[in-house]
Amino acid sequence: MRLEMGHIYIKDIQFASESKIENGILYVSEEAVKAVALEDEKLKSASFDIAKPGESVRITPVKDVIEPRVKVEGKGGIFPGVIAKVDTVGEGKTYALKGMAVVTAGKIVGFQEGIIDMTGPGADYTPFSKTLNLVMVCEPVDDIKPHDYEKAVRFAGFRVAAYIGELARNLTPDETKVYETCTIKEGMEKYPDLPRVAYVQMLQSQGLLHDTYVYGVDAKKIVPTIMSPTEIMDGAIVSGNCVSACDKNPTYVHLNNPVVHDMFEQHGKTFNFVCHIITNENVYLADKMRSSDWTAKLCKMLDLDGVIVSQEGFGNPDTDLIMNCKKIEAEGVKTVIITDEYAGRDGKSQSLADADPAADAVVTGGNANQVIILPKLDKVIGTLDYVTKIAGASEETLREDGSLEVELQVLTGATNETGFNKLSAR
Amino acid sequence: MAKLKVVHYINQFFAQIGGEEKADYPVELRAGEVVGPGLALTTNFKDEAEIVATIICGDSYFNENLESAKAEILAMVKEQAPDVFIAGPAFNAGRYGVACGTIAAAVQEELGIPSLTGMYVENPGADMFKNQVYMISTKNSAAGMRDAVTKMAPLAVKLGKGEAIGASAEEGYMPNGVRVNFFEKERGSQRAVNMLLKKLADKPFVTEFPMPDFDRVEPNPAVKDLAHAKIALVTSGGIVPKGNPDHIESSSASHYGEYDIAGVMDLTEETYETAHGGYDPVYANEDSDRVLPVDVLRDMEKEGIIGELHHLFYTTTGNGTAVASSKAFAAEFSAKLKADGVDAVILTST
Amino acid sequence: MNRGKYIVVTNNPLVWDKLKETHDVIYKEVSYEELLKEVRDRIHEGHLLLTHPLSGSVKPNETPYKSVLISVGKEEVDSRSLSIIESAIQACYKFEDRTGTYSERVLEDFQLIDWTLLESGMASADVW
Repeated sequence: MRLEMGHIYIKDIQFASESKIENGILYVSEEAVKAVALEDEKLKSASFDIAKPGESVRITPVKDVIEPRVKVEGKGGIFPGVIAKVDTVGEGKTYALKGMAVVTAGKIVGFQEGIIDMTGPGADYTPFSKTLNLVMVCEPVDDIKPHDYEKAVRFAGFRVAAYIGELARNLTPDETKVYETCTIKEGMEKYPDLPRVAYVQMLQSQGLLHDTYVYGVDAKKIVPTIMSPTEIMDGAIVSGNCVSACDKNPTYVHLNNPVVHDMFEQHGKTFNFVCHIITNENVYLADKMRSSDWTAKLCKMLDLDGVIVSQEGFGNPDTDLIMNCKKIEAEGVKTVIITDEYAGRDGKSQSLADADPAADAVVTGGNANQVIILPKLDKVIGTLDYVTKIAGASEETLREDGSLEVELQVLTGATNETGFNKLSAR
Repeated sequence: MAKLKVVHYINQFFAQIGGEEKADYPVELRAGEVVGPGLALTTNFKDEAEIVATIICGDSYFNENLESAKAEILAMVKEQAPDVFIAGPAFNAGRYGVACGTIAAAVQEELGIPSLTGMYVENPGADMFKNQVYMISTKNSAAGMRDAVTKMAPLAVKLGKGEAIGASAEEGYMPNGVRVNFFEKERGSQRAVNMLLKKLADKPFVTEFPMPDFDRVEPNPAVKDLAHAKIALVTSGGIVPKGNPDHIESSSASHYGEYDIAGVMDLTEETYETAHGGYDPVYANEDSDRVLPVDVLRDMEKEGIIGELHHLFYTTTGNGTAVASSKAFAAEFSAKLKADGVDAVILTST
Repeated sequence: MNRGKYIVVTNNPLVWDKLKETHDVIYKEVSYEELLKEVRDRIHEGHLLLTHPLSGSVKPNETPYKSVLISVGKEEVDSRSLSIIESAIQACYKFEDRTGTYSERVLEDFQLIDWTLLESGMASADVW
């Protein structure tokens, strides 16, 4: 499969009477995006705001972060099975608006977290302090159930991102990158001497606010399968989770999955990037057995020499991570795993809830229990009402001078387990 | 700003007094003097710190007069009242490494003065003290002096100033069980790719998170003189005096028991039982010697095969008991066993 | 009716309300950690752990609620079940206890999240 990614750099976002992109500036008609968001009758209101890097702005509680994209050539559309039809994606030509994101915020449950600070110490940890953010805060109709509200906000975010992406359809990209994968046989013939590697991605799949969707299918209900690594670039995997925001993958991370992109850099040079394997992190232990057996089986069937396994979340997924690692290693496939740590505020506790000597090659996204003081910022998009109820916060969280004492856990994407950031720990 | 005051500890060899033949050199304080490696440290302090005194001690002297040497050195350090204490670096010198670790840990704990040392990772002092004091990882010989002091000096300055200490990978100290966040140069996915490439090529790589120790314990060498040895019994099989007086839990025990068997020749159904809930207790309750073989050891005592059976035994239930709890129990009663002069332990499980 | 297939061990009143008529439920008004210990004791009796005790990203001591599925039948003590539950109990100590600080609304949300996590486990269990 061959996918051409056209990057269009967005330098600024402004509200205007008409939505368009001109000279790298995204003009957004508030009225138009509002209409797109409110297509769902479960939403009562939607308000929009713009947050720029360096501004004294805090966005919370963040639900999802999405990079607008548009499919300009090839089969299917962005977010297959969710916004576009279910056609298989990952080939042809796609444009992405770089340097910006659509951020959805809004309280679905009373202990929800997810903070993006555009300046200050928190900005060093969340990757979304570096993007121009078009923020949407949605209010639901009265008496809505959290399930329905979650779904409504999730879809509204995708619709708005698709609407913004569509504005780029007739532009010329600033930069183009080509991602090409081979079929199994082609790869063997083309790179007979290179090691065969794959990416095993574990998807959060446990329940409300803990779900991920693949072509619209709830990842709880999949058995591990293989994908072309280019499919995610068209939005084949989207996020439905935001609890414990530091190590959940917002849709932005799925679209820009760093393991996929960094493995592509080596494809055909130091190894043959054979495919992307996806698996889940269900709560039912027999599901874990089945899924980890299957990932190991797929690795064997594909004659792989090595894999990178990435995790999503804490606790329950530690068990999946270790099971995957152990079983894949047992097939003679060399394995590197990416995780993050909960080593306690003092860094002295056992970081993971599971362990095995086979996991001898670990990359960490850092200790999520690390305490950080977030100074008071001038403006809040969303609400601080729930900030004392979030993970790693306490009654003393909101301090007298307006600053917040929290753990890294609350910062969206801070200890991401696909290796999105530079944060680590020793 | 005034320079930070440093006291530096070295052995007879690095003080250029002599080699093994001078290892019995007693403790000596050289106030106002910078000796041997202290010169290289001074250069690397970059005017932020200065060595106000050097303490020299022979390696044999230190190890053979452990308590008195320690007390002497502590008194000297206390009098100098430095901002930071540096011992070594010891490289691969075993006794010197143990001395550096011992004294640095003592200065830090007893005087509250931040301390650091440096040595080669395989130096026996490393495992003993790396979790107690910051320990710079050095090369295995004094040829690595330059490299060692360029890491020790800045860390000493930070410690002296009370600044936040970065992660082990940044500062160069040995991982000490405390996880510290820091920003790497490359993002995680790139680091994972690099690690995979090395692993694929069978080249050495360093994991960012070593899995917890699975504690494969190397057996001690055999007891040479069994006929004069004092042997103790320890069990995770839950044997307790009848009625389980200390209420040791049948599983996931929160404590252990210590019981006196002076004069007890045989564990009977009337006097002992098991508290363990993880196996069929019928045979253990019938005759607890099946788990804790007091009867057999009494016979051996009589026959002169062993010197003596220790009058106390230690017991808990291993059933689902957390590794951390087990370790804590053992750490505590092992110290008691040592203090009681026990030469060897028979540890029975179920 | 799903009696006889698995046992729900829970401290979540919402789960108790929803399942008490139709399922085997052990409901205890205890803390998260104590609930895990209830589960552990049953694993020692030979029940199998069926769902992961650290389900969900809401951390121990942050949510007061936990629901876990175990098998009805008893066998030899399952060492894997035991090691998972013991690790989960250890993990409780890493997080500050803040369960006393919530309003009724927030508690209801915690109950709901715990219920959906359990529901996903039951959906898998009901396939058998």
